[in-house]
Amino acid sequence: MPPRVQNQLVTNTLLPYLSSSSTSTSTISKIPTQCSSSSITSTSRRTCRPFSSTVASQTKLRNEMFTWLNGEGAALKNHIPGSTNYLTQIKERDEQPVGRTRPFPLNQNFVSESILSEELRNEIYDRVVNQKKSVRAVSVDLGVDMRRVGAVVRLVELEKRQKQQGKSLALPYARAIHEMVPTTPLYEDTRDNRNRPHESINDLPVHKLTDPQIFYPVSESRQFNRVDAGRVFSAAPALENKQVNDAADPAEAVSRITQNPSHIEKVGKGEAEQQVLQPADARIPHPHLVAHERFRQSRPTEYREIFKAYNERLRQEETAEKERKRLAKERQDQQLTKVQPESSRFEFRFKDVVVSKETTGTDGRGSKAPGLRYGVPSYERKKGQVKIPTRVEV
Amino acid sequence: MRNRATTPLSKPKLRQSWSKYNLFNLQRLRNPPTGSKTFFQQKWTAKSMARSYHGEQVRESQWARMFSRRIRSVVPMSPARLAQDDGSGMSAGRGAGVEGTKDFPRLTPFTQMTFAPLERRLDVAIFRAMFASSARQARQFVVHGAVTVNGKQMRYPGYLLNPGDLFQVDPERVMYATGAPKDKHERREGRIARKRSAEAQEAEAEAKEEGATEESGENKEAESEEQGQKKENDDPRETLKVLLAQAKTIMAGSKDVLPAKRKQELRGFQKAVKRVLSRSDSSTVLADNLESQFSELITLLKAKPAEKKDNKRPKRDQSSDETQNVSESASESATASESQPGEALTEAFRQAAENPEEEVDTSELTDEELDVLKRALVQMRDNPIDSTKPYATPWRPRDYMSAFAFIPRYLEVNHNICAAVYLRHPVARPGYSEVPTPFGEPVGTAAFAWYLRRR
Repeated sequence: MPPRVQNQLVTNTLLPYLSSSSTSTSTISKIPTQCSSSSITSTSRRTCRPFSSTVASQTKLRNEMFTWLNGEGAALKNHIPGSTNYLTQIKERDEQPVGRTRPFPLNQNFVSESILSEELRNEIYDRVVNQKKSVRAVSVDLGVDMRRVGAVVRLVELEKRQKQQGKSLALPYARAIHEMVPTTPLYEDTRDNRNRPHESINDLPVHKLTDPQIFYPVSESRQFNRVDAGRVFSAAPALENKQVNDAADPAEAVSRITQNPSHIEKVGKGEAEQQVLQPADARIPHPHLVAHERFRQSRPTEYREIFKAYNERLRQEETAEKERKRLAKERQDQQLTKVQPESSRFEFRFKDVVVSKETTGTDGRGSKAPGLRYGVPSYERKKGQVKIPTRVEV
Repeated sequence: MRNRATTPLSKPKLRQSWSKYNLFNLQRLRNPPTGSKTFFQQKWTAKSMARSYHGEQVRESQWARMFSRRIRSVVPMSPARLAQDDGSGMSAGRGAGVEGTKDFPRLTPFTQMTFAPLERRLDVAIFRAMFASSARQARQFVVHGAVTVNGKQMRYPGYLLNPGDLFQVDPERVMYATGAPKDKHERREGRIARKRSAEAQEAEAEAKEEGATEESGENKEAESEEQGQKKENDDPRETLKVLLAQAKTIMAGSKDVLPAKRKQELRGFQKAVKRVLSRSDSSTVLADNLESQFSELITLLKAKPAEKKDNKRPKRDQSSDETQNVSESASESATASESQPGEALTEAFRQAAENPEEEVDTSELTDEELDVLKRALVQMRDNPIDSTKPYATPWRPRDYMSAFAFIPRYLEVNHNICAAVYLRHPVARPGYSEVPTPFGEPVGTAAFAWYLRRR
């Protein structure tokens, strides 16, 4: 909706552009000015335009809005390169650094967080693709979440491809956004990126099992630690003494869990079967960092040793991850039969049908099993079926 | 779908939009009064306020199905603290720790995350990535087929992104959505340009029909000859200097300079660059590709400071000998370019011809100057004046955009190619929520309570 212009203002601004020689324009320009002088005395606006049947164009609220936009709000019109320019700064006049990152004055809990700068993004890409470092190592070194590292690599790859193909890029737009939004720089000493990370890389997701509050009495003499708490939350029996002694080396125990996640103990029966809730040490994205810290705290001065042990731990973690991925792929390939006929663009993938209680159900009418089964109606073409895809395979 | 997402001033409603009406409404937003209201009324107002912002394009029943009372949250952990203790200190004594917890962690704003499931929608995600100026516009982009998900066109704005999905919007659309609109003069220019191009096409078609291949070949030859002459005539160093001066004015351009004047400067610079290029390039093919043109120019510039000292003598001789020629060409260029910076350029040419001794010592290019020139050229190339575009050129962000400029952490955006990855679902963490909502905690909590369906 374009702003409706005020009559008086228009005539005033138009005056210099109108030729004074023509009589018609001069009369036109005169009438409203006379009216504007008379309108001071008269209360209603209608008197201004006696022959007009349309209502007055400017409401009180519109006037208010444009007064605000031209007054206080004018500061928000253009961005300030290198800093944010939010409404909160105007509303809360005290120059708090907090106000500079909050776009919404009423919402205390939402802050505009920084994005990766161009240099940092290129550095991530360089380390992963050219220097062949693992995503995990890059994530720790530059203080960026592992998922974000992966995404950055994908996006930069795509950007390079588009540049090669000569597709148009939105460069001025990108520059403007990077001026408006806070960015995390690539520090000259890249160790600063580790000390001042872009985001918290060790976020522990809150598990569903920890929602309820549980009253669980234990004797005062007992060391009730995170492992025990996890077992209580998942209603698993308490560990016996022997196992407790086994877990004397916590780093070893944690790496055993994180490197073989399929071997985690399970509780419950049938559909209710689930893994025992593991302690936070094992559930954070970088469990090897805990072991590293423990090692460092025990030998505070042996830097070389610490560095060596850290690299060794990182290597172990990576090999375990690779092995796990390889096995998963092998398993998937076993289940899938791929057929590609000659002179065909398509590859057909066949999967064996599993007839079990889980898929077809006890009566053979379960909806999860594939294929057309006698007596089981297909609702595919029925009204109200949602056809929006749920995933897009690359 | 009819657009009901209006931004009225009476009975204000907040929308996912960057309009100034919305900004004004946001500015006067207050928490709704609760004193004389029943709990039901409080919840109702909160819910209707919140829903006018969050997914107003989604039907209420549809949203009610999407709502989840279980809200995702994370707790940032410190490996050092995890290494120090095994957590037994927390449960020591009578269960709350021996000394009691000293520092209370900040509360996690769960109820501010009520509308987190809607952030999964493709249209909302496009708006959050700042590819569109409103969620409605983002929706239009999707419906009109300008959006791909994982490289495949996706026409459903209600597609729920999965973690790891990469979505991309056509950069031209994004520039249009986020750029300042054309004013009426620019629109007129666009119309004229379109008309001209149509005429040129027609003429071309006619020429093709006649089969005038020989003539064009002749023309090309003549052109190249002319270029060769010019190359000999003009002193490239002088041109460079003027270019540099123009570049400086462009780069130093502040906001208080009139946009028209600024534009004129830019246009003059563009013309000057083109003139240099036409001289340096022998091949006419390069004239089409802006990228290669630019690289050509850059190489030309890079060569300059290096061979500066060697060239001094012959250049001066040339310029003193061929004063006549230079002034001729200068007058030519003056007639060709009517804008003032172009004239300044020709003026510089003339000066160089008249007193060459003065010019030689002042034409030293420092690295800084070279950098300025380079940046101006880059800007020229990236952000050209082009009246055929649907937005004001050179591109600049639309008004009041910075007040809404933020990118939530659950997206990783590459603005150069207008692509983004949906990393994960939005989560709450102590003190912070990731769902961008303009409403405060009272509204969020009441809206959450509404959808718990225990009214």
